[in-house]
Amino acid sequence: MSDKVKTIGLFALVAVLIIGTGFVQSWNSALLILNLGLISAVMALGVNLQWGFAGLFNVGIMGFVALGGLAAVIVAMPPTNEAWAAGGIRVLLGLLLGAATIVGTILTYKAMAPGKIRNITLIGVLLVGFFVFRTVFDGGVEAIEAVNPSVSGYLGGLGLPVLIAWPIGGLLAAGAAWIIGKTALGLRSDYLAIATLGIAEIVIAVLKNEDWLSRGVKNVIGLPRPVPYEIDLQNDPAFVERAINLGVDPVTASTLYVKLAYSALFAVVLIVLLILAQRALHSPWGRMMRAIRDNEVAAEAMGKDVTARHLQIFVLGSAICGIAGAMMTTLDGQLVPTSYQPLRFTFLVWVMVIVGGSGNNLGAVLGGFLIWFLWVQVEPIGLWLMQTLTSGMSEGYWLRDHMLEGAAHMRLFTMGLILLLVLRFSPRGLLPEK
Amino acid sequence: MDILNAIVALSNFVLIPAIAYGSQLALGALGVTLIYGILRFSNFAHGDTMAFGTMATILFTWALQSAGVSFGPLPTALLALPFGIAACVLAVLATDRVVYKFYREVKAKPIILVMASLGVMFIFNGIVRFIIGPDEQRFADGERFIITAREFREMTGLQEGLALKSTQGITVVTAVIVVALLFWFLNRTRTGKSMRAYSDNEDLALLSGINPERVVLVTWLIVAALATIAGVLYGLDKSFKPFTYFQLLLPIFASAIVGGLGSPLGAIAGGFVIAFSEVFVTYAWKKVLGYMLPESLEPSGLVQLLSTDYKFAVSFAILLIVLLFKPTGLFKGKAV
Amino acid sequence: MGDNPYQNDRGNKDRSITKTHGVGSTPTRKGGKATPVDGDTPFLIGEAMTGGYGKGPDILHDCTIAVNAGEIAVIVGPNGAGKSTAMKAVFGMLDVRQGRVLLDGEDITALSPQDRVQKGMGFVPQTNNIFTSMTVEENLEMGAFIRRDDIRDTMEQVYELFPILRDKRRQAAGELSGGQRQQVAVGRALMTKPKVLMLDEPTAGVSPIVMDELFDRIIEVSRTGLPILMVEQNARQALAIADKGYVLVQGANAYTGTGKELLADPEVRKSFLGG
Repeated sequence: MSDKVKTIGLFALVAVLIIGTGFVQSWNSALLILNLGLISAVMALGVNLQWGFAGLFNVGIMGFVALGGLAAVIVAMPPTNEAWAAGGIRVLLGLLLGAATIVGTILTYKAMAPGKIRNITLIGVLLVGFFVFRTVFDGGVEAIEAVNPSVSGYLGGLGLPVLIAWPIGGLLAAGAAWIIGKTALGLRSDYLAIATLGIAEIVIAVLKNEDWLSRGVKNVIGLPRPVPYEIDLQNDPAFVERAINLGVDPVTASTLYVKLAYSALFAVVLIVLLILAQRALHSPWGRMMRAIRDNEVAAEAMGKDVTARHLQIFVLGSAICGIAGAMMTTLDGQLVPTSYQPLRFTFLVWVMVIVGGSGNNLGAVLGGFLIWFLWVQVEPIGLWLMQTLTSGMSEGYWLRDHMLEGAAHMRLFTMGLILLLVLRFSPRGLLPEK
Repeated sequence: MDILNAIVALSNFVLIPAIAYGSQLALGALGVTLIYGILRFSNFAHGDTMAFGTMATILFTWALQSAGVSFGPLPTALLALPFGIAACVLAVLATDRVVYKFYREVKAKPIILVMASLGVMFIFNGIVRFIIGPDEQRFADGERFIITAREFREMTGLQEGLALKSTQGITVVTAVIVVALLFWFLNRTRTGKSMRAYSDNEDLALLSGINPERVVLVTWLIVAALATIAGVLYGLDKSFKPFTYFQLLLPIFASAIVGGLGSPLGAIAGGFVIAFSEVFVTYAWKKVLGYMLPESLEPSGLVQLLSTDYKFAVSFAILLIVLLFKPTGLFKGKAV
Repeated sequence: MGDNPYQNDRGNKDRSITKTHGVGSTPTRKGGKATPVDGDTPFLIGEAMTGGYGKGPDILHDCTIAVNAGEIAVIVGPNGAGKSTAMKAVFGMLDVRQGRVLLDGEDITALSPQDRVQKGMGFVPQTNNIFTSMTVEENLEMGAFIRRDDIRDTMEQVYELFPILRDKRRQAAGELSGGQRQQVAVGRALMTKPKVLMLDEPTAGVSPIVMDELFDRIIEVSRTGLPILMVEQNARQALAIADKGYVLVQGANAYTGTGKELLADPEVRKSFLGG
């Protein structure tokens, strides 16, 4: 079987699975899987860039995805004017002071000769800076959070179209990645894995705690949409007529229409990114990246700045994850910090990349769709399995109840199993790198 | 008097909790560092191994409780602990058999083992949630306190109370015993030394007739025991929840790396460094400062440097600072 | 990209998740059995060995190396002549496709290196030949790992042979100087009470003074009756102490003779000893 046939065949299989869902369950479920599949594919593409082409082990994908989500809030939500008036400037000033403290510390570190005096000065600068920062910042935060806390209590966003948030989400993630990469890749031996693991938790902690920024655990809901609202469609006589002509119930038609519109937008992003990724990898830059990956010593001897290249690809890959994060928050229409779980947003993406085929962009995309499909469908399958297994037991028997309840956790088990099976028997993934 | 009160408040809210938490982290980090030293990869499934061992212990605890067995003033879980360890050992050895052994035979690169450990993490996570559910479980019984705040106040006449939970006492005592045993084993016994030798230089260990499979087996035994003990102590002190245990991975990794991966001594030091900094930075210092400073300077706010939700950020910041100045960790990460 | 996906780490060198220090490179070989042979043979002989690493090309071509009881045999030759390879072939670290290895009247060609250690071969690799993080004494103990009897006498002998090790016995071996490290390495190999000692360039990278001292020690070890097979860069000095010398060129025997003969042979002098 040639590579091409295999690729087409596997993608066709995914298509059949999703379309099958449409026929067996509902078209709404099918489109839901498709949409999140598209987003997952984008994430997998980003991670594949880092792992597949540079061997960088990023376990903080969740953090970059969440930053993308934050971008959606910052860009698209209407600004809360009272909050800005109450403490917006003060918070910004506080943040600037905080940044200045860090810059000041670094400058002091560089300017002074090593020794006790430097250490004391550094601690002094940090301490003074921290307390000044907190004094200015806390007051602003309190003022902002006091503004109508039940519905607002945060600065709001810029009120721009939400689509702008997608590239901004990428930029935000790229910025964070740059800081992480600069520190973790610059050390004598690299510590990227633990650094990314840490930063992801920190990003989530910020989202949960900084109410002035994104309302914390009170969540931001009702994000503006790039596509029409179902209710507007249902009130549009032209749409209703067309739906009836097609023989579809207008309410269903409106939900399908909205989801399809999202699918189209996501598909455009995925295709553009995929084409860019493919072209980049067949460009001299891509060849250099692979040369570094396959023989770092030789590449270094030829004068390649390996750390800088690694930083570059790490930032790019994280930016793609950020874009995906912004897309996802747009689709959800809300930012719920507690929903960011490492298993779902970091390690599941890893399963996608490994199963799909490390180092192969199409493989990553395939893995994104396939694993997402399974992630969604394993639960009903698990429930069915448990029902079959327990069908002989009497109603209300503790083991029966326990097993039915536990069916929801089958998906974690299944994902692990799939990962281990692929890693063992097909370590290059479904679509291996050429 | 105020100074004494300040010291008591400090011990009550900072020192004692940090020592207990540090001991738990240290035991967790020891497991990570042993796997890193001997099998040469960071085990992402370690948090879930802890969860598995703790879950098994809880189930045995329940069984003992329903059979009417108790351990007097001590938690019944301590009686169930050996059974929990045994269950965890079985699970871990089965995993090694089915998953990791193959990669050793094909001489796979350590990073492949890291990826395999991701799969194991998912599976353990799923199993634990399937068996005991994702919810919080409290399983501490027996005496709650060695000394309560009220008793302490009555005893000393101080304004501040000092409460010592029995779980904290048990944590520290158990950790000291376990660590002493482990160090004795690694430094004094033939098998322990062979583990260190294997970690240091695999080829030469082979030439010396050390059987790698035996070394790996013993390592998993120890790691399963350490993980279960760490998990049970943490669960007794706080509570058991699968997701919390999964999240412990970050502070545990941070401890192991701060101390110097592969160095048991470092793992312990790292555990305490991380625990103390977390508690120090997220503690509201108002009370302690209130005793220490003259009334006019008494702080009005809570004097909490960071909200408790940022404790992960603290682990991480400490990690970065240590790595910037000592790239191999506090104790040169080398030998097990 | 390599053929083996399990060995493809994509250049990852993340120290926070993988350890590179001390990772083994010895391929695991499933060992076979030793079979007794008849007839009069040298104590240790690699006879007409042809072979290479794994599936790679042959490096040795019909190469024979032998050492008799109580003698020192030395393998010399230009860089890349396959000196170390020949020794590793004798020790079972590469695939010998033709020829055989005999030890003390047994055919051990099928044995794995670990099994050969059990049979009484002591091997000191050229590099990474000590446990750097362990004390000198622990290094010696690890050398005796396969023994179940009392090792104190052997350790005492090693300390008598290398007195400096006794002084440093509580110190981590990694902190010692180059020459001292080599003494630890040899001492570790002696702890198994081997029937034959194999040294791979014991004087690589040490100063001339230390080198002389090491040679003296090796002669001393040999005087205890232990046969020694040694690969050496410093051909002249090595041949001077050798009972038997092998000059290898491109994986094949070029000249063989006693040490004195080879030193006297004008061809050998011209080609390998710089006149």
